[in-house]
Amino acid sequence: MTTSPMTQARAPGAAREGDEAWRRRGAILLFVGPFFALFLAVIVAPLAYAVYLSLFAEKSSGLGFGGAETVFVGLGNYLDTLKDEAFTDGFLVILGYCVLYIPLMIGGALALALLLDSGLARFGKVFQAALFMPHIVPGVIAGLIWLYLYLPGISPIVDLLGDADFLGGRGALGAVVNIALWEWLGYNMIIYFAALQAIPAEVVEAARTDGAGGARIAWSVKIPMIRGAVVTTVLFTIIGSLQLFTEPTVLDNSSDGIVSTWTPNMYAYNEAFGNNDIGQAGAASIILALLAAVLSYAVTRWGNRR
Amino acid sequence: MGRKSTGIAGVLAGVSLLATACGGGGQAEPAAEAGKPAQVTFWGWAKGTQQVVDAFNASHKDVQIKFEEIPSGNAGGYAKFSNAVKAGNAPDIMSVEYPQLPDFVNQGALQDISAEVSDVKPKYPAGVLGLVELGGKTWALPMDAAPQVFFYRKDLFEKNKIEVPKTWDDFKAAAEKVKKADGKARIATFFPDDPSVLAALSWQAGGRWFGTEGDAWKVTINDEPSKKVAAYWQDLVKEDLVKVQPSFSQEWNAAFEDGTLWGYVGANWGAGVMKGNHAGQSGKWAIAPIPNWGTPSSGMLGGTTFAVSKGSKNTKAAVEVVKWLTGSQEAWSARLSSGTSSGFPAITDLVPVAAKSFDASFYGGQDIYKLFSESYATIQPGWTWGPSMVQTLTAFKDALGKVGSGETTIPDVFDTVQTATVAEIKSRGLNVAQQ
Repeated sequence: MTTSPMTQARAPGAAREGDEAWRRRGAILLFVGPFFALFLAVIVAPLAYAVYLSLFAEKSSGLGFGGAETVFVGLGNYLDTLKDEAFTDGFLVILGYCVLYIPLMIGGALALALLLDSGLARFGKVFQAALFMPHIVPGVIAGLIWLYLYLPGISPIVDLLGDADFLGGRGALGAVVNIALWEWLGYNMIIYFAALQAIPAEVVEAARTDGAGGARIAWSVKIPMIRGAVVTTVLFTIIGSLQLFTEPTVLDNSSDGIVSTWTPNMYAYNEAFGNNDIGQAGAASIILALLAAVLSYAVTRWGNRR
Repeated sequence: MGRKSTGIAGVLAGVSLLATACGGGGQAEPAAEAGKPAQVTFWGWAKGTQQVVDAFNASHKDVQIKFEEIPSGNAGGYAKFSNAVKAGNAPDIMSVEYPQLPDFVNQGALQDISAEVSDVKPKYPAGVLGLVELGGKTWALPMDAAPQVFFYRKDLFEKNKIEVPKTWDDFKAAAEKVKKADGKARIATFFPDDPSVLAALSWQAGGRWFGTEGDAWKVTINDEPSKKVAAYWQDLVKEDLVKVQPSFSQEWNAAFEDGTLWGYVGANWGAGVMKGNHAGQSGKWAIAPIPNWGTPSSGMLGGTTFAVSKGSKNTKAAVEVVKWLTGSQEAWSARLSSGTSSGFPAITDLVPVAAKSFDASFYGGQDIYKLFSESYATIQPGWTWGPSMVQTLTAFKDALGKVGSGETTIPDVFDTVQTATVAEIKSRGLNVAQQ
């Protein structure tokens, strides 16, 4: 600040400039204040409270009819959670989900966006709107709609396919991936499409003059130029996958393949509201949040490097 | 300087606006004033509760009930109650089903009401009273009981000359005949999502999942009678003699509607459910005693109690309300006034009131309450629910899901749940007796 031209010209109007600086700070506060207030109230405070809760456990003794008391257990809940196979298995489910979901999602959204952008597709606006529409449907409703389509005895599709079992055993993962694709494909497609529209026409023109065909332009020019958008969506998709909860929870009661602790988020929910173990739920949530933070950092680093 | 303060003041004003917006929900309960009636808050979800509360409020001047309808226990109501107890704003009276009562006592969420209810205790049969007495204290009053029965399509059974099964051996024979009569039809459903049916069947067979031994819990979910029940149902599933469907699901209801499900192994309250959901099949259904293992006996599938929460400041008024809700004719006739509930009072003196309210023409005018009473009399005494039933039932649900695909068997599930339950109980610091 001391080297700025304004402070050097201090002598005559010092008071006025001080006023100016205050005004600016006031303006800054005015603009960032609401954000920080909300950030503190709905992110930092609950996070801190979760950390606090995760350090305690309810313990009873004997038959337990004397009630429970809250005792400090340090990192005990974290160790218990990490040792619990139900929790760690949840990450295997997420891993399987990501391996199946991310390539389909990114590939599908990219392909659709490139098609729309290439001008090959007719009724582009109509398709955009139609593909985006499922995203407007809330996750719970989407789960219910698809549940109806998956359930034998009710679904017209299951009967047509001759008793296909969408919800049993390993089929459940595919069932959930399908719902997520339905919900998010149009959304990511719109992001890619917007990024593609921002590519200067002369770049594409130059590639065409050099003799590149449509596919070549898409692969070597367009996709590299919207890499930022792709990285962003991959990041959001991974974090979203870690938080997988709504759709499998809706399917849970009807699916043999989905258990109450199917994903880490469901595990935390079940600990808190099923087993009434708030401490362990807190620990599981914090572990999940840390992992999400590390992953986001890794993905952004990886995205920026190239 | 003036500018700065307005800027900050603006931010502060914004923040305080937010704060008031968030804080709007917390109102202090007005303290009962002299001369004004005491207000007792009550959380429940059972059908007809509003009518019961209205009847109470109309006939009482000194106490008024404030009824708040919450989601049913396992659908979130229990979690809501646990959290409310922690937050210090629990209702005075909470609905608790029998299995979850020990869990809430362990959480320290309920009040010992032994002294206040000693006068009404003799009205209850010992087997039911035992479920609300833990560690020598009474924690709740039973509202209804849930004797097991078997619902069947009388018309189809008669048409195909299938005898109503008396024993479980008969039941399997009948299941084979149903399948033979109609390749798509089955006699009943195995519910992989509802282990409470297996609990009731184990109870009926003489199993005891939990017990206490001095200062320690005895956990015997995989005891011999329970394993017998598990193996029996495994056999039915394996031989494709029953449908495997979630309970109360659309597919389950659809199977009744299209005539491919001819029976239902349930309890008294199912009579109202069936009548409500399948009005078109009126007159085609009948109810039989639950098949047995040689001598008539029953477990209990469901049923609700009312308990007073630890934080209640109106214990005396709350207990009076609970006594009225569970034990008065007015409450029962109001509860069943809609005619769609086939609830069965835990106090047998009140059964005639209930019987009068339910129109049994759906069951061809059968005297179903007589049947329920007979079943109720054969409920096996000595059953105890464990201290972590939510976890136990969830562990069952998770493992039973894999039975349909053949990944595991029902007897194996009982072993898995036994292990998981012992681990959970120990992790809460409770004692578990060596087997």
